[in-house]
Amino acid sequence: MTTPSEQHWFKDPDAHRSAVGSRADDRAASREGHADARDTQFDRRSFLRLVGFSVAAAGVSGCSPAPPQTVMALFEPPVEIVPGRAYWIATTSWADGSGSGVLVRCRDGRPIKVEGNPSHPVNQGGLTAACQASLLALYDSHRFDGPRRDGAAATWDEVDTAVRAKLDEVRSAGGTVRLLTSTLTGPSTLEQIDALLASVPDGRHVMYDALSCSALLDAQQALRGVRVLPRYDFSRAKVLAAFDADVLGTWISPAGFAADRQQARDVHAEPPRMSRHWQLEARLSLTGTRADRRVRLAPWETTAALAELGSELAGFAGVTAPGPRPDASALPQATRTALHELAQELWAQRTESLVVCGTNARDAQLLTAWINAQLGSEGTTFHLDTPSLQRQGDDAALQRLRDELLTGAVDLLIVAGANPAYDLPDFAEALGQAGTLVSLASLPDETSALATIVCPEPHELERWDDAEPIAGLYSTTQPTVPALRDTRTLRASLARWRGDARDDRELLVDHWRRELDSRRPSPRTGFDAWFHAVLERGWTELPSAQPFRPAAFRPAPVAAALTRIAANAGAPADGALGLVLHPKVGLLDGRGAHNPWLQELPDPVTKVVWDNHVDLSPATAERLGLRTGDIVTVSATDDAPSADLTLPVLVQPGQDDRVAAIALGYGRAGTDRFTAVGPEWLQGRRTVEPGGTIGANVAPWLRWRAGALDYSGRTVRLTATGGRHELAITQDHHNLSVPAHLAPPGGEVRDAVRLVTFPQLQADPEHVLGGGHTPVGELWDDDHIPAGHHWGMAIDLSACTGCSACVVGCQAENNIPVVGRDEVRRHREMSWLRIDRYYADQPDGGVDVVHQPMMCQHCAHAPCETVCPVLATMHSSEGLNTQVYNRCVGTRYCANNCPYKTRRFNWFDYAHDDQLLNMVLNPEVTIRSRGVMEKCSLCVQRIQGAKALAGREGRELADGDIQTACQQSCPTRAITFGDLNDPNSALSRRIATGRSYRALEELNVQPGVHYLADVRNDAGSKGGGHG
Amino acid sequence: MLKSLSVNARIFLVVAVGFGVFAIAASADFQAPNVHQGYAPEQPIAYSHRTHAGELGIDCLYCHYGARTSPVAGIPATGLCMNCHATVTAGLDAVVAEREQAEAESRPAATILSPEIAKLWAAQGLDVNGQPAGEPHPIPWVRVHNLPDFVAFDHSVHVNRGLACATCHGPVQTMERVRQESDLSMGWCLDCHRGKAADPTLVLNAEHGRLPAGEHVSTDCSACHY
Repeated sequence: MTTPSEQHWFKDPDAHRSAVGSRADDRAASREGHADARDTQFDRRSFLRLVGFSVAAAGVSGCSPAPPQTVMALFEPPVEIVPGRAYWIATTSWADGSGSGVLVRCRDGRPIKVEGNPSHPVNQGGLTAACQASLLALYDSHRFDGPRRDGAAATWDEVDTAVRAKLDEVRSAGGTVRLLTSTLTGPSTLEQIDALLASVPDGRHVMYDALSCSALLDAQQALRGVRVLPRYDFSRAKVLAAFDADVLGTWISPAGFAADRQQARDVHAEPPRMSRHWQLEARLSLTGTRADRRVRLAPWETTAALAELGSELAGFAGVTAPGPRPDASALPQATRTALHELAQELWAQRTESLVVCGTNARDAQLLTAWINAQLGSEGTTFHLDTPSLQRQGDDAALQRLRDELLTGAVDLLIVAGANPAYDLPDFAEALGQAGTLVSLASLPDETSALATIVCPEPHELERWDDAEPIAGLYSTTQPTVPALRDTRTLRASLARWRGDARDDRELLVDHWRRELDSRRPSPRTGFDAWFHAVLERGWTELPSAQPFRPAAFRPAPVAAALTRIAANAGAPADGALGLVLHPKVGLLDGRGAHNPWLQELPDPVTKVVWDNHVDLSPATAERLGLRTGDIVTVSATDDAPSADLTLPVLVQPGQDDRVAAIALGYGRAGTDRFTAVGPEWLQGRRTVEPGGTIGANVAPWLRWRAGALDYSGRTVRLTATGGRHELAITQDHHNLSVPAHLAPPGGEVRDAVRLVTFPQLQADPEHVLGGGHTPVGELWDDDHIPAGHHWGMAIDLSACTGCSACVVGCQAENNIPVVGRDEVRRHREMSWLRIDRYYADQPDGGVDVVHQPMMCQHCAHAPCETVCPVLATMHSSEGLNTQVYNRCVGTRYCANNCPYKTRRFNWFDYAHDDQLLNMVLNPEVTIRSRGVMEKCSLCVQRIQGAKALAGREGRELADGDIQTACQQSCPTRAITFGDLNDPNSALSRRIATGRSYRALEELNVQPGVHYLADVRNDAGSKGGGHG
Repeated sequence: MLKSLSVNARIFLVVAVGFGVFAIAASADFQAPNVHQGYAPEQPIAYSHRTHAGELGIDCLYCHYGARTSPVAGIPATGLCMNCHATVTAGLDAVVAEREQAEAESRPAATILSPEIAKLWAAQGLDVNGQPAGEPHPIPWVRVHNLPDFVAFDHSVHVNRGLACATCHGPVQTMERVRQESDLSMGWCLDCHRGKAADPTLVLNAEHGRLPAGEHVSTDCSACHY
């Protein structure tokens, strides 16, 4: 990262490119903005007079009492639950495939918010966007209500009889039964699976992960004799190199990984810690945006680069590599130089460094394991004796199952917690060949559409379950609400099919009593008390059922891998591009596609909502004559034929020029349900047409290669169709910059983000940002200084990964509506908290990226307050800038005058007619009606709630009693809320550091939200402390 | 001012103002303040607060226990009523009369179930003899005190700071049928929050009354509106 001393940060790459020269767009925009001001015939005073008359007249006629409301009383007073008072239930969420511990906030018997469980070892209190949004899926009215047979509703007795009859038939005829699931770790479920499969002559359980780590597991099997995922500990990694692994966004356990990585980068620690993070990848992933040093590496270069790195390390160690040093000359010179530097850095921190690789290819994983073995960091940065069990999928077994299915050899196939018809290539056809297909999907999906029998599973917030995400870590799942649909878990279904009629909880408790209880250390309390305590905490640690004993490292497979490396194998031919298929943080493998919160969550890097697209680097796009929004046909140029795709292009800075990247998870069947999302009005356009899908499915483009699913080995050619598709991209919305012709001299560039390097910070921690901006005059009096509390916030940009967990957390907490694709195009997204993503060009064609969460800054001299004609936005005595909905008349002057563009206007009454979906609404926050302004309140309901609690307990409010929704959800604890007037609060301590600044400080609006400058561990950078 | 406008603009204004009046008046959302003071709707069961809170002296918080720890005081679950009404089945006069008559006639006294308590039993799925009969069903009480949705009021905050229930709800112990005593307008709230809260005589219950150090009675909009 070598950047000029004065970085120019920009959000929208298109606008950035056209900024030089043409001002026409700016003028057009300003004309648009002032269109309303032309009619001056009717003055403001006269207007208000008439409005006053109108309202008074309505007041006279409106003096009738409200229609009577009825209140239904309960039958029995609920135990431990006080009506209207929130309570918490500890459980586990697999919505992002990590098995994160969560605390579910419930009120009156229904969950209203999912938050991370601070004590849980997997995620340590943070929670990804996908897990937070899983709450909405609970209230999805499209979920199956009861079992189905041959496409029609059936009773449980009918489907059980049918499955049992099939099992009996298989037993007598010697047929085969296969169970296909995603990774399952729950011991009580695995027990039932084993029992059922043991009762048939040929039964097998196949696990797969749609975002597969199969090759990584296979490599461990080959080298160490255990087929497990290493448990990574990023907190110990002083040097981290990630090859094509989106560690902070989507890879395995992002919330926990982000938390761990942040521990190694804690500049507040004494002495300050700052790991060095290298990212080597083709597309710009979320993790790539946070790396200290980013190297663009095409997919076909990964193995060669790893081999080069490994050989380099062998040279440092003075040992002979197990295989020949492959010819690295095909790698670009810059890449080779970078790899040489990386090898030196890794070697300097050997035993405390880590290399991870997200490529699902065996050779790449063998080489990665070899590198880590050479670094000797086992036991420090990764562990194989207490491995992670979060991914256990076996692609080779999956491929065998597919072949079996195609030959018609499978009599009964049960699919649970997976959607193979959608997320695997050529699997739908194979599924059709199964004798009987039983699906346990809870929401209609591509697989359940093919199934003869559907036995829907409950949502994870309404069932009993257990899990073992990490060997020896047992995590429990409890229902937070009585089942909303007529469903049954896999465990209960399997038991029932064996003639065991016990319910879900009984099966679980029985298993724990028999199998887990005895593993507790003595002296033991009674089982019931212990189990209750485990449920209350949500997890416990016990010795694993079978210990994992990895063998000594076997170099032979590495030697074989080194000989297999061929220069540029798989590189695209001239004019073609490599294809990278990747998940997004919201939808992941497509499991979130029916969740409107996730569909409308701006992707942290591209900022696109409601679509997937072909990402191209600016140079490639220019070479092909393509712009963002041009529709292209994607056709395969390699030997594996795939049906052409038609998708819009997105120009993505920072991406490798040789690849095109497309997100998985889109194009799910049934996403035309979002036809009706958002307001209906004259010029409104539907988010999706009936019968259509949101985006296009690229899973058919995955390829089986060497026993693993290949996500990045295809090559494609793009052909412009001439069509255009207006992507909904929030990156240029709510811009903090000023059009050049309107800016005061010297004020053209308003840098809201600041970046320093770690050496700069160490050299002068107090003055690392230089002098502050001198305020240009005083517009307002300091006449309302908070005497008691003064609520404020600090956001550490060096900790923020941009993962967007806070955005969904805010949406859930504050009842923020979903507006649909078309309204987003009109800049009308309602999110109170957005994450501004800034780019700065680097000389090598890459970009520096800083993520900045931006919400109402709660200015002491708030420009919004002075322009409100009805005092609907006011300053509270505690420093909050408050918005009073019932006063607001919707002039929108405040939004116009807000320099941070954080105010949102309700253009419509957003739909609330789905009664089931409405149960997700937080009763502590008003539902805003049409025509009022809204914005971040710093979770004032939580402030008031914490005060009420302190009052009840007769104590003073303590620092940390109040956590805002965004703060709570943040995996890296980047957000600190507290009292600015308390010099000992965590907040005050943070803003006393030299990295603290306030956005657009030169305006002298005195925000209550502070930022701490981003820190890169890069000596090469001059940083852009100040612009 | 109007003269300066064109005819079309004048017509437009008249129509617009008229439409505005109509739209606001016709909207169910629009409620003028103060119109519910004295509201005392008939309830599905003629439950008497005068009897229970007044004559029997049952603490408000026995039934409305939520007020102590929750934002809402709560309508008691019918099971709570049955704590007493499983045995208290009718007014004392009626029970005594039946007992005396039974004694005179040398027979065991019959259970006298008042018509109103019979409704409670029916809601619990019990017949006049206390035997299970029919499905339990909730009692559709008519809400008396109803704040608009844009107001957040927390009972526990006020109760724990020593406010007596009667401060806002009036002499409920004298009401046969509960009525809304105060007008529950924002001005009425502010009367207290602005002035009286500073008056030490208002703290009626010295034992529980406390305002944590550093907290004040707020008149911020965001104290109630969020």
